[in-house]
Amino acid sequence: MKKIPLHSFHEKHNAKFIEFAGFIMPLYYTSIKDEHMSVRERVGVFDVSHMGEIRIKGKNAKKFADYILTNDILNTNYKDVKYTVMLNENGGIVDDLFSYTFSDEEILLVVNAANIEKDFYHLKKYLWSGLELINESENTIEFAVQGPKAEDFLQNFTSYDLKDIKYFKFDFIEIFGEKLLISRTGYTGEDGFEIYMNKESGEKALTQILEKGKDYDIRLCGLGARDTLRFEVCYWLYGNDIDESINPIESGQKFLVNMNKENFIGKNALEKILKEGIKRKFVGIEVNGGIARHSYKIFDRNLNEIGFITSGNFSFVLNKSLALGYINLPHGEIGEEIIISDGKRNLYGKIIKKPFIKPRVKKEG
Amino acid sequence: MSKVLENLYYQATDEWLKVEGDIGIVGITDYAQDKLGDIVYLEEASLGRKVKKGEAIISIESVKAAAEIHSPISGEIIEVNKEAVNNPQIINEDPYGKGWLFKIKIENMDELKDLMDAKGYSEYRKE
Repeated sequence: MKKIPLHSFHEKHNAKFIEFAGFIMPLYYTSIKDEHMSVRERVGVFDVSHMGEIRIKGKNAKKFADYILTNDILNTNYKDVKYTVMLNENGGIVDDLFSYTFSDEEILLVVNAANIEKDFYHLKKYLWSGLELINESENTIEFAVQGPKAEDFLQNFTSYDLKDIKYFKFDFIEIFGEKLLISRTGYTGEDGFEIYMNKESGEKALTQILEKGKDYDIRLCGLGARDTLRFEVCYWLYGNDIDESINPIESGQKFLVNMNKENFIGKNALEKILKEGIKRKFVGIEVNGGIARHSYKIFDRNLNEIGFITSGNFSFVLNKSLALGYINLPHGEIGEEIIISDGKRNLYGKIIKKPFIKPRVKKEG
Repeated sequence: MSKVLENLYYQATDEWLKVEGDIGIVGITDYAQDKLGDIVYLEEASLGRKVKKGEAIISIESVKAAAEIHSPISGEIIEVNKEAVNNPQIINEDPYGKGWLFKIKIENMDELKDLMDAKGYSEYRKE
């Protein structure tokens, strides 16, 4: 098990730890609910240093990224961030990630912790000559500062006007006493920023964040709240909601795919899938009688198996048990009643609209 | 360090039992609520159900995990804590008080000798 760079700092702050993606990570400090609500109502900070950073450098780096990722990367400029997926040749999702455009010759990919090595080899497999891949994951600290007060809070540490960083843009600014990469991104459904730095600067910056954060009743948040927050806004969790056996059309991520591009890895497979139509879809479910957890089976009212749960949790904002999962078509209409089972116990569910709560991010433009 | 109260009986699966006459009140320990984390669901036990000592009665779920509640004693379920069913968070907040789970009419007092006292349970859950 690998420790994240600020492990002892988190220990000092009474973190309860959990093993995740080969790392020992903070699960929560006070309670998942307390941390969740701090992000919905005020501001919370996550140390997400377990995330991976892979840089592509060299002539045509952007063109290569456009070829290996599904979203339109070619028409991005310096300071643009894109949420996208990376596919295998069958159209299965290798990872979902953020792509940062520095120039035609430099792209930074921020990938899921569990997929760092897999992604690296996937990129390497298709890499064009003249390009260099650099795995910077081990030396990069990443903090996510999220919540309706995130901008107001971070403004305390910089003279740069943070309003100038729009949603899904990044910049290098003087903050916490150094020049750091900051983007207006996140994965909680709230406005917020993600800040990147090296190991040495991490503890210093986090100490400042927590000290000033007292005025904002800030919380240090763990993986637990990260999961419940992304779940409420129905953002996908790799390994739970998406993986290589699932394509982005059935997962509802078609908006991340630019089919007009001349070519990208997985394009042929997706063309076929689009032509033939998908066989299942990703749905939201309201659950009665407990939590429907990952891998529970879904049945129709006649007890025919029609799908499976990918994520299930309790929504602290809506005060109810909800789930996400795949249901075989033509099932999955809004209002359809279903039964969910772990083999021992039945729960009752109803298909409802996604997202469970609307993201409150600051939209572009 | 989790809280352990005197004058309660404890079993290894982290339930406590308070005896008042021939009635037993059942809940989970401070250790158990802390281990579970934010409790978000408590199944309602069936009134009138006859249960055996050690039998799994209801499930309790937190954000992280689901757990079974085992009856520390044999008898009949005579009351359910509706407040905890409707607002399971009170089990986190007050596991020995407002967060009790159900009451049992005790069938056999002899079974009490198989349970731990506060000292025994503290030793058992010493971390």
